[in-house]
Amino acid sequence: MKETAFFISSENLSTHLDLQPPAVPSGFSRTANRILVLTASLVVTALVFCASVGPHVLAKTGHQANSQGNSNIDPDAMEALNKMGAYLRSLKAFQVDSEVTNDDVLDDGEIITDNRTNTLLAVSPNLLRAELKSDEKDVFLFYDGKNFTVYGKLVNYYATVPAPATTGQLVDKVYNDYGIEIPLVDLFKWGTDDSAIRKITSAFDAGPSTVQGITCEHYAFRQEGLDWQIWIQLGEYPLPRKFVIRTLTDDARPQHSSNLVWNLAPSYNDAAFTFEPPAGALRIPLKDINSDGTQKNQ
Amino acid sequence: MNRSNLFFTLIVVAALFFSTDLSAQRRGGGNYGGGNRNVRSSANSSVNRNYNQNRNVNRNVNQNVNVNRNVNVNVNNSYHGGYYGGGYYGGGCCYHPVATAAAVTATAVVTAAVVGSIVDRPPAGCVTQVINGLAYQQCGITWYQPQMSGTTTTYIVVNPPR
Repeated sequence: MKETAFFISSENLSTHLDLQPPAVPSGFSRTANRILVLTASLVVTALVFCASVGPHVLAKTGHQANSQGNSNIDPDAMEALNKMGAYLRSLKAFQVDSEVTNDDVLDDGEIITDNRTNTLLAVSPNLLRAELKSDEKDVFLFYDGKNFTVYGKLVNYYATVPAPATTGQLVDKVYNDYGIEIPLVDLFKWGTDDSAIRKITSAFDAGPSTVQGITCEHYAFRQEGLDWQIWIQLGEYPLPRKFVIRTLTDDARPQHSSNLVWNLAPSYNDAAFTFEPPAGALRIPLKDINSDGTQKNQ
Repeated sequence: MNRSNLFFTLIVVAALFFSTDLSAQRRGGGNYGGGNRNVRSSANSSVNRNYNQNRNVNRNVNQNVNVNRNVNVNVNNSYHGGYYGGGYYGGGCCYHPVATAAAVTATAVVTAAVVGSIVDRPPAGCVTQVINGLAYQQCGITWYQPQMSGTTTTYIVVNPPR
């Protein structure tokens, strides 16, 4: 599968760090308008198409194995995931702004919800930039195909390590070695052999649903430890518009929710993905979570 | 109207301090609300991760030790500890039996700035030093090395680098 790299960036993808998330690029509104116009006619067409062709396509992709003896899996819901994954993998570049809520569970089971804003700009196959903003931090991630940098804007410290050759490899390496989850990492997983789609034990179509004015189809899935839902845009751009993931391994069942705003024609230059330390920024090590010590020099 | 401008500026500055203080109360000290409200887990943010339970256990145990060491230096890392251990590693921040046992041990040993201790931020009055291209905070005879732990900056007490 072709890898697609994503990066987050503030609107201004210049090399400077003073960027704040800009408004959605113009490409988005154009796209949104088109989609709205096309949606009504496409919905009917798509439904008919899915009903008649879906099972055939599914058989070809081999995912019918999933539903062996499991009537809880609606093949159309699985096929919608496959289509979305294939579409995501076909994107050359995209920017996604996401509003996230994420539950923390306190010792006594009380849930506290944390709000975050993530911006991700990715260019296939090996450019990525992200900004992760929450109440207590404002962190930028940079990946230019050679190095990976974490920059904490509030503390003005950065850590840089050598990086693998593709974004697909990067997202796993930084997670496994440094405990860093690239925001919306699922966007890099769907449509690849790494996808956890085979773990799904229940899948159904909950029907049409509108997310931020965009008509979507709402699907619900279960897999070990997680109940999750996804809203996939109807029409010729099968993009995920919303995810809700409920973790079942804690009795309190904390929930993660992301609303996504897409720009499929982001403007950027390649320098936006290479970290240039701002004035006064100091280098620190990136803690390797698999060793007791801290990497001294990277 | 220099005087009124100055007055206005003072008010703005005071407001800034005040709001900073409020947010410090919310997150400050590393937990919610200033009480002993540790985060035990966080919601998973991905459906495609192959969460490795063994790794989580190890990491969480270590994280708890760190959290409790923080008690010694009077800085509580529990909120970030939970964030680090739960949100990004797939749930289950804290193993209570281990945490409790470590806490009891830690409080019995009142030692400041043990090498290897990790805190959210160094004490006031430290001096930034750059040695071999890496930043340190020198606080008297104690040296803290800032490190990027996940996407959170923490400070580990190290032997003097020079």
